[in-house]
Amino acid sequence: MILVVLEHDGTRLRKGALEALTRARQLNAIAGSVAGVLIGENLAAVAEEAKRYVNALYLAEVGPYTAEKWAAAAYAAQQKAGAQVVVATGGRQGRSWTPRLAFKMGAALLEDTLETSTDGSKVIATRYSFLNRVTEKQAAALPVVFTAKPNTTPLAEPLGSEGSVETLSVELPAQQVEVLERVVEQKKGVSLAEATVVVTGGRGLGSPEAFGKVEELADLLGGAVGATRAVVDAGWRPYGEQVGQTGKVVQPGAYIALAVSGAVQHQAGMNKSKYIVAVNKDAEAPIFKIADYGVVGDVHQVLPALIEAAKKLKD
Amino acid sequence: MKFIAVIRQVPDNEAKLRIEGGQVNYEGATLILDQMDEWGVEEVIRLKEQHGGEAVIVALGPERFEEAIRTALAMGADRGVHLVTDTPLDPITQAQALADTIRDEAPTLVFTGGQQSDWDSQALGAAIAEALGWPVVTWTTSLELEGEGASAKAKHDLDEGAEVVRVNLPAVFTTQQGLNEPRYPTLPGIMKAKKKEIRKVPIAFEGKVEVLEQTIQERQRLGKVIDGTKDPVAAANELVRLLHEEAKVI
Ligand SMILES: Cc1cc2nc3c(=O)[nH]c(=O)nc-3n(C[C@H](O)[C@H](O)[C@H](O)COP(=O)(O)OP(=O)(O)OC[C@H]3O[C@@H](n4cnc5c(N)ncnc54)[C@H](O)[C@@H]3O)c2cc1C
Ligand SMILES: Nc1ncnc2c1ncn2[C@@H]1O[C@H](COP(=O)(O)O)[C@@H](O)[C@H]1O
Repeated sequence: MILVVLEHDGTRLRKGALEALTRARQLNAIAGSVAGVLIGENLAAVAEEAKRYVNALYLAEVGPYTAEKWAAAAYAAQQKAGAQVVVATGGRQGRSWTPRLAFKMGAALLEDTLETSTDGSKVIATRYSFLNRVTEKQAAALPVVFTAKPNTTPLAEPLGSEGSVETLSVELPAQQVEVLERVVEQKKGVSLAEATVVVTGGRGLGSPEAFGKVEELADLLGGAVGATRAVVDAGWRPYGEQVGQTGKVVQPGAYIALAVSGAVQHQAGMNKSKYIVAVNKDAEAPIFKIADYGVVGDVHQVLPALIEAAKKLKD
Repeated sequence: MKFIAVIRQVPDNEAKLRIEGGQVNYEGATLILDQMDEWGVEEVIRLKEQHGGEAVIVALGPERFEEAIRTALAMGADRGVHLVTDTPLDPITQAQALADTIRDEAPTLVFTGGQQSDWDSQALGAAIAEALGWPVVTWTTSLELEGEGASAKAKHDLDEGAEVVRVNLPAVFTTQQGLNEPRYPTLPGIMKAKKKEIRKVPIAFEGKVEVLEQTIQERQRLGKVIDGTKDPVAAANELVRLLHEEAKVI
């Protein structure tokens, strides 16, 4: 069996879970049946949905997230299912507990994979490395744990039949981490990760007030606002908008970089965008080397004109 | 108290990468202390300055990694332990190899980089924690010791938002932007670092992950750049026209 750790929000499976299921089904040369595990609290409602996607479903009621608990629960499910491959969703959370699981299993870990396949004895994966600049192909003999990078894979459809459901008893490690406070980002509008257009402002905008126009353009194009680290460090924009190595990784249809120099650490978060558009007063700025379209000019003159042109287009 | 930073040496991100025979070529590349590891080095030096004790650098890699260890010692760390191997090892195997050394050192806590800038891996910190049976806090943006080093209060980033946790020590922390501003090595620091102890431990491990091929698949970019210095309005109109009619993205 192949085991999928199904990410959910307490009521529904997340999109990432449906992508991970597709990845598991693609490995049918290793095993034809797929088991799922739900980890968390009050799992009954999600279980109704989840059992339609798997041959066997395990429920691990372990309370709120910690990496140690998630790894212990996934390990219990893996042992029960006798799974040689465990699939989970990437992102910060998935990538925080899967190394612990791989270590417990003595398995290889393939992180944030774009595509996965098998010859029956190995899992072969492609992924990005070197700050998203290199595409590499890796192979690892079973057992293997891998995370699927979000938004890379078609969503799985339910199976014709419902899987068996079993509650797991998980031996929980002694609690070592106590959550004192959790701040969840509230974002209005389209989320950065899902947006088809991202309009990012850099330090060259000169002031937090200038971002009013960045927001206006993003709204007109139905997109989300992004920011560089320089802008976040200056306190002009919230960290949740930062794109790059230590921020978010985005891959929209159009990435519009306004007064952004295009440092490699910034590129790490946007270099796979379909079209890259740059406005910068410096024709030598690195961002132009990876741009499809660009304007050399003063952002304070070009941005208002872009807004006017976008408005005309809308009418 | 003893504070450990686990570090790695990586190609400088600013430099161009060359691929030869399907692998990234390290010959002639400028190699540096990974920038996300620098935050860990700075943090263990600060902790030692505040609470006393020792700041120790641990690295696993080929002989050349010594340069990165010396950089960390020049910043102010006290000594280094270098697990030497020419075999590139995946992070899970590295954790296995590092566990004994770290356990023997019996530190108050361990720092390592949030993401490695060569392999883009985020696994090493969590894998070390598992190998030692310790908790891990990933993407740490601030840290405060409590109760003489019995526990720590830390803030760290989540996928969406952040969390403040209290964690029993010893524990592993991985770094994130905002944790601190790393200091530059000073000239006297560099001189002193030359005499600081680096204990060498040869190791022999087999990796679990094989890298079959590396390529740079850069999308062919169109590079259509319009001069907007004289007539910004015309340039903006032309850009919007291209995005609408040619790229069809707006
Ligand atoms: C470990 C590490 C991680 C990092 N992670 C990230 C990350 O996740 N994201 C990130 O963004 N950065 C990151 N950085 C920082 C990165 O190296 C750059 O410093 C940062 O991206 C620069 O932001 P910027 O482009 O806004 O500013 P600058 O580099 O200062 O560029 C401003 C640009 O605006 C242009 N400009 C100025 N005035 C005008 C005008 N009137 N009209 C038009 N153009 C104008 C200038 O020509 C310049 O190109 C990281 C750095 C490190 C060391
Ligand atoms: N990006 C990477 N991620 C994980 N492990 C890697 C990576 N690159 C190299 N390795 C390790 O390097 C070994 C082979 O690398 P090479 O000798 O470069 O083919 C593998 O067994 C891995 O342990």
